[in-house]
Amino acid sequence: MTTARPYIPRAGEPSSARPKFPQNRKTMLKIWWREVDRVLLGLVLALMLIGSVAVAAASPASARRLSTSHTDLGDLYFFWYHLRWQFLAILVMLGVSMFPREWARRMSILLCAAMVLALFLVPFIGVEVNGAKRWLNFGIRFQPSEFLKPAFAIATAWILSWRMRDPNLPVIMISGALLTVVCAFMMMQPNLGDTILFVGCWLVMVMLAGLPMQGIVWLGGGGVALLATAYMFYDNARHRIDAFLGGGTAYDQVDLARRTLMAGGWTGSGLWLGIRKMSLPEAHTDYIFSVIGEEFGLLICGLVVLVYLAIVLRVLMRLFDEDDLFTILAASGLITLFGGQAFINILVNLQLFPSKGMTLPLVSYGGSSTIAQCFTIGLLLAVTRRNPFLSRAKFSLRGALEKRPAA
Amino acid sequence: MTSLTASAALSKGRGQLVHIRQHSLLTARLRLLLVIAGFTLVALAALLRLTYIGFVQPAPQTRSLAEALLPSRGEITDRNGAPLARAFPAYALWYNPKAMGDSGSPLVKSPEKVAARLKAIFPDLDEKQVAEQLAKGKAGYLRRRVLPEEANQVHEIGEVALELPQETDRYYPQGNMAAHVLGYVAADGHGRVGMEQVLDKVLTDPATRGTPQKLSIDMRVQGALEDELRRGMLMVDAVGAAGIVLDVDTGEVMALASLPEFDPNKIDAAGEKNMFNRVTNQVYELGSTFKPLSVAAAIDAGVVTDLSKRYQSRKPIAIGGFHIRDSHPMGDTLNVPEALIHSSNIVTAQIADELGPKRLKKTMADLGMNERPYIELPARGFPIWQKSDWGRLRGMTVSYGHGIAVTPLHLASAYAAMVNGGIWRPATLHKLGPGEAPRGRRVFKASTSARMNQLLRMIAVFGTGRNADAPGFRVGGKTGSAEKPGNGGYRHHTLVSTFAAAFPMDKPRYVVIAMLDEPKGTQASSYQRTAAWNAAPIVGRLVPRIGPMLGVKPDSSRDIDLSDLRPLVHGGE
Repeated sequence: MTTARPYIPRAGEPSSARPKFPQNRKTMLKIWWREVDRVLLGLVLALMLIGSVAVAAASPASARRLSTSHTDLGDLYFFWYHLRWQFLAILVMLGVSMFPREWARRMSILLCAAMVLALFLVPFIGVEVNGAKRWLNFGIRFQPSEFLKPAFAIATAWILSWRMRDPNLPVIMISGALLTVVCAFMMMQPNLGDTILFVGCWLVMVMLAGLPMQGIVWLGGGGVALLATAYMFYDNARHRIDAFLGGGTAYDQVDLARRTLMAGGWTGSGLWLGIRKMSLPEAHTDYIFSVIGEEFGLLICGLVVLVYLAIVLRVLMRLFDEDDLFTILAASGLITLFGGQAFINILVNLQLFPSKGMTLPLVSYGGSSTIAQCFTIGLLLAVTRRNPFLSRAKFSLRGALEKRPAA
Repeated sequence: MTSLTASAALSKGRGQLVHIRQHSLLTARLRLLLVIAGFTLVALAALLRLTYIGFVQPAPQTRSLAEALLPSRGEITDRNGAPLARAFPAYALWYNPKAMGDSGSPLVKSPEKVAARLKAIFPDLDEKQVAEQLAKGKAGYLRRRVLPEEANQVHEIGEVALELPQETDRYYPQGNMAAHVLGYVAADGHGRVGMEQVLDKVLTDPATRGTPQKLSIDMRVQGALEDELRRGMLMVDAVGAAGIVLDVDTGEVMALASLPEFDPNKIDAAGEKNMFNRVTNQVYELGSTFKPLSVAAAIDAGVVTDLSKRYQSRKPIAIGGFHIRDSHPMGDTLNVPEALIHSSNIVTAQIADELGPKRLKKTMADLGMNERPYIELPARGFPIWQKSDWGRLRGMTVSYGHGIAVTPLHLASAYAAMVNGGIWRPATLHKLGPGEAPRGRRVFKASTSARMNQLLRMIAVFGTGRNADAPGFRVGGKTGSAEKPGNGGYRHHTLVSTFAAAFPMDKPRYVVIAMLDEPKGTQASSYQRTAAWNAAPIVGRLVPRIGPMLGVKPDSSRDIDLSDLRPLVHGGE
């Protein structure tokens, strides 16, 4: 196997004269439109449209619940706010998706550092909402963990792709250390749901980065042990898992969500005609999937599941013929965060998973969370941009399996 | 690998990097398959769960906004819109020992203390039994109906296990009134016995249950009828009573009562025994009240053309080993008005014999005596009616109300046909609008009807119906006191006393039937058992109460013209 040495760019070596980015804004937009994953963009916008309708359906329930004798929130209070947030979020998404890949990476790494710092500050100057200290208030209230998630995925992908430069670097250990720091902060809040997301995202990326299968099994076992520890020493988790296994008491949230979801039948009761949703706390955030079930029916619920699956599969399938490890890792990490959160929320609503206090991305009402999710998608669009005129080595499963033993 | 060993140190490192890169990409791509499989499996699980929920949950109810605003079961009102039955949201008191959610005691305080607190709220509570139920820790109702104020007091006890679920309930604001007409709603949500059963579909169908169903009943008349019947029943210690007020021109039932009644708000064993409807379900031999019908048939057929014609009334008629007698001697001869006034079996039998059993049978069949009564109620009794040709004896006994057993409702419809100009119409419990009355069928000529009105009025003025002659209301009617059949013949001391009346006789508008089952002779009835002393006074007291409500005002200056008949009777002119 005597081969000609392939060209390998070296760090520090001035790159050959590249074609410069066109400075003209119009041509930039043109190139963006050509390079961006338009199917993904379409699916995401469709999902946000579903989200608008769903928040409109759930808004009266929450608005009436939160109205007091002094302040009367209009029935569509949350809907109008949601539209405003969505508008901002779409701007963020499009803006971020226009970044060149390197910029997106650098920005995310900086953001990751900033958000870890912010997380560090949360226990000292954080705001407590619903019994958990997760928010920072700088004029607007936001959850550092929401923005940390996409930044963490990119930063981890960056760390893991160091191995391309120097195979001897213990990249998995380094990224593991980052994960440990983040998780420690998350558990202080306490925020079990996001911790699980971070760990899951890191596991997927580490697995793709070539962690030996043995290691994956070890990590899996460690995860189970960790959950068991959490169950034994961590009240919040224990209560939720107990409630999930034991069926809970008569009228807890899970039970109310179940009744709401089942109230609509296949075709639902129709917009604003649901009744059960009125007694459901967090109808516009954590349990919006149940509200969709009551008002639009189980068929639409199935459609929502399929839209999420389509987004996830669209991103993952396109990675097969990607030849940059950083892109594969970053995109799969981002989509794991997005899809993982979506499916955990759906499974919670379907009583297949213990209650986690997690929103349905891009559908649930939320200010910082909607923007953060759109930021995630924007990063995803940015890192998966590709020149449609460059052909890539096609991935064939058979070829890959045959080559594997030789490599 | 050979290339690596052959190359220089630098290129060796670079080549290794290339291989690592290719290897890593390949691993990443292969493991992407795992991630894809993972997500697909999770999505599949969610979809399967959705399908499971869709098939396992109870059939989806289509819900519209209009439906959500409707009562759970339609309202029933009387003809003027006063509610007789309505759905209302009620509280129940339910004991849920699992409400606390832990494995400890279901109650905070001791069961005895909680029971004592409940007893203070509900004085009729069985404290010991409730304490036992609480101690046992078995879920169940402690009370089916709780008022909002009581619900607040139960909340104040502070026991989580005492739950107050809201349930829609059927409420009869008038209590026992018109219980047999209304019926009740059983625990399965469907109506029983009365119009609740008849209208069940209409009352539950979302398309129709928004509009209250109007019955022909007038609540005020119903109340007066039940009141007077009960008074009359208690005075003579009867086992039961039945009454009906019927509009003669439309067949609408203004009031219908069967005593003793039941409480549709609270169905128990005692109530279930009384659900039997004496007006529409029980058949009786109604005795002398049939005499006017027989005479009308004879006049209509042209058999009786001269009311002053005298019939012998001294000798019992012997026929087929059977003797037709009168209750007391009435002299040698009687004319037709006298026979009705004194209620002579002998004379009525002779008239019927002249008419012949065939024509009498046809008239009776035209009056609906050969089939179940026409009314919406589900429980309707079948008359005892000889289907084969009637012999002479059968014709004679039927003419004075024996050998035929019908419900009081049959009699009311027949009387309505006799006094309203001769048209028989089916009775109904639905309110009829103007022009909705059925056409009916002609049974008597108008002239016959006019003559019968005079004769009925004569009975109330001069005869056995004097106790029913409420001043100014121009009541006419006929008494009937029939012995009830028992083992091997009639029982001489158990009677069914009936008074069948109509008013005002100058333009009859309503038929009133009052019937007492097994009245005793008491001081109130001057120790008499016959209808003149117990059933007729009921009508006499009832008509002044209901007449003004039904648009019949007392007027002593008006009456039906009796001048041509008055000379025919003793005590007249």
